[in-house]
Amino acid sequence: MSAWIAAAGQALLIALLAPIVTGVTRAVRARLEGRAGGRIAQPWRDIRKLLRKPPTSPEGAGVFFSAAPVVLMSTSLLIAATVPFVSTAGIAGSADLIVVVGLLLLGTVALALAGLDTGTAFGGMGSSREMTIAALVEPTLLLAVFALSTRVGTTNLGVIVAAGASDPAAVFTPASLLAFAALAIATLAETARIPVDNPSTHLELTMVHEAMILEYSGRDLALVEWASAMRLAILLGLLANLFAPWGVATGTTWTAVVIAAAVLTVKMCGLATLLAAAEVYAAKLRLFRVPELLAGSFAMALLAVLTSYILA
Amino acid sequence: MNTLSIALGTSLATALLACLAGLVMPVKWRTRLAGVLLGLSGAAGVLVGALAVTGMVWRAELPTLLPLAGVSLAADPLSGWFLVIIGAVTAAAGVYAIGYAGRTSHGPGSRTAMAVVPLFTAAMLLVPLAASVTTFLLFWELMAVTSLILVMTEHRHHKAVRPAAIWYAAMTQAGFVTVLIGLSWLAAATGTQAFDGIREAAVSIRPFAAGTIFLLCLLGFASKAGAVPLHPWLPRAHAEAPSHVSALMSAAMVKLGVYGVLRLGFDLLGGGLRWWWLAVAALGALSAVYGIVQAVVATDLKRLLAFSTSENIGLILLGVGFAGMLARSGQPAIGAVAMAAALLHTANHAGFKTLLFFGAGSVQRATGTRDLDKLGGLSHRMRVTTALVAAGALAAAALPPGNGFISEWLLLQALLHQTPNAGTMLAIAAPIGVAVVALTAGVGVAAFVKMVGTGFLARPRSDAAAQAAESPPSMLTAMTGAAAVCAVLAVVPAVTAPALARVINSLQISQTPLSEGLLDLRLSGISSHIAPLWIAVGIIAATTAAAVLARVLGKARRRAIAWDCGDGPLTARMEHTATSYAEPLQRVFDNILEPVADVDVTHSVESQYVIASIQYRQQIPDRIENRIYRPLVAAVQKLGAAAKRLAPGVMHRYLAYMLTALIVVLVAGAIR
Amino acid sequence: MSAQISSQLLNVACGLFLLTAVGVLWRRQVSALITLLTVQGVALAAIAVILAEQHRSAEAATIAIGVGLLKAVVIPWMLRRVHQQLPDARETRPLVNVSTSLLAAAGLTLLAYSAARPLVALAPTASAKATPVGIAVILIGFFLAATRQRAISQIIGLLLVDNGIAAVAFLATGGVPLIVELGVSVDLALAVLVLQILTSHLHTAFGPTDLDELRELHD
Repeated sequence: MSAWIAAAGQALLIALLAPIVTGVTRAVRARLEGRAGGRIAQPWRDIRKLLRKPPTSPEGAGVFFSAAPVVLMSTSLLIAATVPFVSTAGIAGSADLIVVVGLLLLGTVALALAGLDTGTAFGGMGSSREMTIAALVEPTLLLAVFALSTRVGTTNLGVIVAAGASDPAAVFTPASLLAFAALAIATLAETARIPVDNPSTHLELTMVHEAMILEYSGRDLALVEWASAMRLAILLGLLANLFAPWGVATGTTWTAVVIAAAVLTVKMCGLATLLAAAEVYAAKLRLFRVPELLAGSFAMALLAVLTSYILA
Repeated sequence: MNTLSIALGTSLATALLACLAGLVMPVKWRTRLAGVLLGLSGAAGVLVGALAVTGMVWRAELPTLLPLAGVSLAADPLSGWFLVIIGAVTAAAGVYAIGYAGRTSHGPGSRTAMAVVPLFTAAMLLVPLAASVTTFLLFWELMAVTSLILVMTEHRHHKAVRPAAIWYAAMTQAGFVTVLIGLSWLAAATGTQAFDGIREAAVSIRPFAAGTIFLLCLLGFASKAGAVPLHPWLPRAHAEAPSHVSALMSAAMVKLGVYGVLRLGFDLLGGGLRWWWLAVAALGALSAVYGIVQAVVATDLKRLLAFSTSENIGLILLGVGFAGMLARSGQPAIGAVAMAAALLHTANHAGFKTLLFFGAGSVQRATGTRDLDKLGGLSHRMRVTTALVAAGALAAAALPPGNGFISEWLLLQALLHQTPNAGTMLAIAAPIGVAVVALTAGVGVAAFVKMVGTGFLARPRSDAAAQAAESPPSMLTAMTGAAAVCAVLAVVPAVTAPALARVINSLQISQTPLSEGLLDLRLSGISSHIAPLWIAVGIIAATTAAAVLARVLGKARRRAIAWDCGDGPLTARMEHTATSYAEPLQRVFDNILEPVADVDVTHSVESQYVIASIQYRQQIPDRIENRIYRPLVAAVQKLGAAAKRLAPGVMHRYLAYMLTALIVVLVAGAIR
Repeated sequence: MSAQISSQLLNVACGLFLLTAVGVLWRRQVSALITLLTVQGVALAAIAVILAEQHRSAEAATIAIGVGLLKAVVIPWMLRRVHQQLPDARETRPLVNVSTSLLAAAGLTLLAYSAARPLVALAPTASAKATPVGIAVILIGFFLAATRQRAISQIIGLLLVDNGIAAVAFLATGGVPLIVELGVSVDLALAVLVLQILTSHLHTAFGPTDLDELRELHD
């Protein structure tokens, strides 16, 4: 029973933290650009406000449109509950990396179908672009999984993170270095950040993710925004725990869990700050230059696999 | 006389009855009776397979049935596995045909079509049971001929049917010839044509001869399986055949190509050498990537599904190839996992591809078109079909909680967990294998999102799509059945574990790939595990909970106009079509696809700065077909023209040919 | 320094060495290429230093410092000077597009790995195991030189080849004789110098140095 509570608690923690992480990226970015910017908790307020408003469906849109935000949210929650963010023990650390990749993709697919279901030009365009990027990110993700799993001989995330936490020096190998670079680029692409997509643009011809969710409003929009924030938090948390697995609890004692949650918060906010700082200095790539970036991350992931053989 | 022979007898007898019903019954009752009988025949086929897969030994020699050689049949777990697949697809196709063929006397409901389908399925059921070279070749050829007749069913209605049939006939016969040569050579080298004798004598064949035999048969089997570059018949024949026949071909018949490779390579020749399996894996990798890249840009619904068949066959062959390589490199436990992935994917693919081809048939029946650019909006008028097709697409895209995901997960586990110390070949091949699987998975998702999104959602793009009506109950029943099988395979794949273990054991890899435990899929030799049931329950429970919470706590949903930039109203012409949806990916794979685009700009009469109209045409030809097959066809035609000179119409010349041939044969016999 | 940490550091240095080579193929900006080359020089020097420490050899340490100075300071500085004189800052039209060349780099690394396996089998030490990295960088360097149009990109390709050779020499044998390594490197420095003079003269005479266009001089 306590394992279930731990998993639910972890999902709740990620759900609560996620808008804060997004708030941090926005605040840091605003400061670096010389703007005052909103408060860190602003995304939370937006979500609260939107949740109270009724959702609207465009004429002609069907059940795929209204189901997508819920599916996106449920996949995010499921990942948040089963990935070892806080503890590697029990259900909270039982996820398989390939399943996580699959669930992330399932969420993307739900939104892409919703974009098409609206029957608008923007929805179709955003959906088409999103699926192009998702199709090319998938190989990178799975190859990086390969590089990470050869070290411990399993794709079970709990085991991978626990192995890293017990022997942090073993994490610091060229294979994980390359895998980290590859996964970082894949994270940018999956969460629609610069240079792949601009999260703050509403210019019709350049947007990807925003075009796809253009028709959402009220509660639906709140769910989509919340789930997207959770996906960012999940991927940042994964990066943090795979490549800097310090402070992750290996049991379920209260003190260890509380410390681990605090460390996780710090790590996620740190990565979010880095991400925002990097975004300030980068420009969005043309859509047709994005495959080049993803080919680069793919090559790095393949090299990560090879170096895990060569430099073992 | 044991249960298996009774079941097989029932299956064949009902197939014969179905054939008779198709021939003699009046239009009013023809499809109903024949369909029900075909369904029963398929169900009995499943029983035969299930009995064989549980290890029931059965063999039959019918020396009088065929002059000289006789017919010899035997069942083992390997044949059982494929029999279950073929039987299940047949049963579903029988039910589907009732509504699909309707009460018309032409097309799929015609006398020939209804009578030949049972013969085709019976031939398919007999191929895995064949226990001698002649028997195998006989049923193989029977299967090819009957399927050819079925491909031609609608040749009066569509112009594209005839070229499709010619391609299919030529390629399937060429494949038959290579298999014929290979198996005859095998029989000659071992001195017997019974599979039992070959199995014992196979060790004495020289490696060169064994390798050549394997390659020759691989050519034939791969062309039947639709592996690239032997695939050009597949998108044509699958697209032009009636949909229940497409399902039978794609879900059952092409699997027999895989069966041939397994039977010959692992069973008869005893496992062979590592490079054989490298060749199989390379063929698989090529098929997987090329198939899915062509599928994602296809705008014809059934062509998309056909290329996806090439892709899935590629993944299966990749698993088979790696299983062979791993078994030959001292890692039989991991090899068994790869083989389990391949076998499970044959079943999974049969499940979801049956469902998807049935769905495509429903769409074609309701709208009269398969062109995705002209479809759309079906989710409002064909709700059940849309839901079922979406479920099939989920499985085909290898997303959790679909059944395709399970077999891809197994395949990836096998590729990830080979030890690189076992040799350079594996160390290089495994990362490439993972990259291929991952790329196909990613692009596959895009292809199926495109199929569902542009084919079924949003506004209808043509009047035909706007006036579509839901299919009759028999078709929906068949689709629901296929979807239920997919769901079982997705949620509790471990039910197949004992069967898989027996099949893999009969392939001379003595390892159990999946350890016990129904809910948690655990592998032997690898510590990764997943719980497919919990994943499915988790997704469904979380989604339902979120939806219910939102409905209870939040305000009611409202309808509004979509954002039209203030320049509305939006029309279907403003939607993304299937072509435009795939355009970014098509650009990415430009070097592979080499599309031919043509833009015509017509200027206004008054001023050349004002454009009156723009016409854009795009074609994505099959490059492999153009590069390899067109020159080949041209060369054959040239040869044929040249050969005309041998036949001048003079009687003496012909008699002289005969005399020469006779003398050559006699001299050859005398020298030997 | 414990043996484990030292071999791990060596691995990281090798990883960085390979990563920079891929980075050179990836980026188009010439200034970024020079920065990457500098980092690669540092990684090479680090490899040399770690190996010298492992062998406790003063001579090897001297070589390491010399190589570090040359690869991480002198050659990048000279390249920057060339670059300042040439305003064309980007590799605009590579003969093989960037995505394909990245995949080719991955393929070349696979090739290097399989080709070096018998070599590694001879002496399976931690450093010898890393030789495929050096071979891969040699191949990537040749590939870069063969597929890029700007003269400066080609020089960088040749420098990658040289770095790769040096890395292979260090990793496979534990260090080449000082005189040989210095001789080779000085040769290369001279080559860069000559090319620098040549390109700047060509530039003043004919404008941008696109090698395809230079062919017209020959015809």
